[in-house]
Amino acid sequence: MFSRRKWMKVLGAGMSALDGWGQGPLRFPGKRPMLVQNDFPEDLETPVEYFDTWITPNDAFFVRQHLPRPKVDAGSWRLKVGGMVSNPLTLTLDDLKKMPPVKVPATLECAGNGRANYRPKVPGLQWSKGAIGNAEWRGVRMADLLKRAGAGAGAKYGNFNGADNGVAKTPDFIRSIPMRKLMHEATIVALEMNGAPLPEIHGFPARLVVPGWDGASWVKWVTEMDLSDEPSKGFFFATAYRYPKYSPVPGSAVKPEDMEVLEGMAVVSYFARPVHGSAAKKGSPLRLQGVAYAGENRVSRVEVSTDGGSKWIDAKLSPQNYPFAWRLFTFVGRRGYRVSHPLFEGHGFSGARAAGGMPVESVRVHV
Amino acid sequence: MKWLLGLGFALSLAAADPAVLEKGKAEEKRACVACHGTRIVHVQRLSRAQWERELTKMAGWGAPIRDREALLEYLLANYGDDKPVAPLPRSEDASNSKR
Ligand code: HEC
Repeated sequence: MFSRRKWMKVLGAGMSALDGWGQGPLRFPGKRPMLVQNDFPEDLETPVEYFDTWITPNDAFFVRQHLPRPKVDAGSWRLKVGGMVSNPLTLTLDDLKKMPPVKVPATLECAGNGRANYRPKVPGLQWSKGAIGNAEWRGVRMADLLKRAGAGAGAKYGNFNGADNGVAKTPDFIRSIPMRKLMHEATIVALEMNGAPLPEIHGFPARLVVPGWDGASWVKWVTEMDLSDEPSKGFFFATAYRYPKYSPVPGSAVKPEDMEVLEGMAVVSYFARPVHGSAAKKGSPLRLQGVAYAGENRVSRVEVSTDGGSKWIDAKLSPQNYPFAWRLFTFVGRRGYRVSHPLFEGHGFSGARAAGGMPVESVRVHV
Repeated sequence: MKWLLGLGFALSLAAADPAVLEKGKAEEKRACVACHGTRIVHVQRLSRAQWERELTKMAGWGAPIRDREALLEYLLANYGDDKPVAPLPRSEDASNSKR
């Protein structure tokens, strides 16, 4: 790995603008070494070599924040449920803890994961592959909260706000989620992540878990749910996180009316090992490893190719097979397999073929 | 055509003026750090048009930009879409759990 100092030296003194201003060492309490997209607020990418366990530990989980991180006091924190309800609620953390708990394993992926690979470049965090992780979330069913609040028949959306606020005229981070998703039994208000109270950086004391949907829906530090017949008109729902309805020519402009909300995530797979461009010993057995995620669906199959795509072989999948959660895949070349080509290329296919699996990535290893 | 190329050349010469870049850098330090650090700015590699749009967006959100020209030239000179991508720095290990 390139050390930062070395990198600075390569660029020379003329480009000292590389760093932030007057910042100390990059250290994020509770986190292993992470790839730093930004330090204030923290946007941290998980290095792919941590993708070797089905559960991504909290200390390795990626972080994405839009606005400066709020400091929430558990005692005075409240969750308000209002709008089109017959029984508006103001709940304390203890109130939520008294409701029937549910556990949901689910993968969280930022909609912008992989943006670093776009050509031409687009503005936004330059995630490579590590804006994704899988955790076991524990909390309260949204459907139970809606029942308790007496959600009205006319309510079509829950509009969610968190304790974070924009600076100056920055818009507040508000997201709208349609009723059909809120009523799903796996949609919860989570208080725990992998058996521990939600870490501050992941939304303490409560965040939404919206399985299969993009990270922007998983509102952190959630304080308000407003039921309405209309979605938010705010920037972070009405403008940002919109994607073209069709595949545009890369770099071309898309009209606002041709943009829609993302909702369920696309099928993806990411190689964790070997690292693209790394060296392998001639004749050594081949081991491919990575993760595959299919949004609201299950990953039924991952195939890899070691000959540039003409032949596809099933990779071995981790045993947990749930909707909303990724699966790890491994492929070890059969015994006696020789990596004999000067260039070896593997492609990942993920998801069910029936869903029209598409090649998503290739790694090259020099032997 | 030739004069157009010449004009482009003249512009890029003007863009490289170290005094302007210094001013742009100071402008970033003054106007761009109230809401987020500069790393989120420095990971971008954008064209002139894309940087223009970013500056308009940030000004709309309250960034107190005074010398927009210098800021734009500085951003392009360092974080233009023709500039190489720098590897992301890794943070120190601050995990509480033993592995
Ligand atoms: C008033 C607050 C504020 C100021 C001042 C500000 N920004 Fe931002 N900027 C934001 C917010 C909020 C985001 C993150 C938006 C998100 O996460 O979606 C952002 C994100 C960005 C991004 C990432 C791309 C994007 O659009 O999300 C860039 C680049 C950027 N700012 C550049 C700048 C520059 C250059 C300046 C100085 C002229 C500046 N910002 C000043 C609020 C601000």
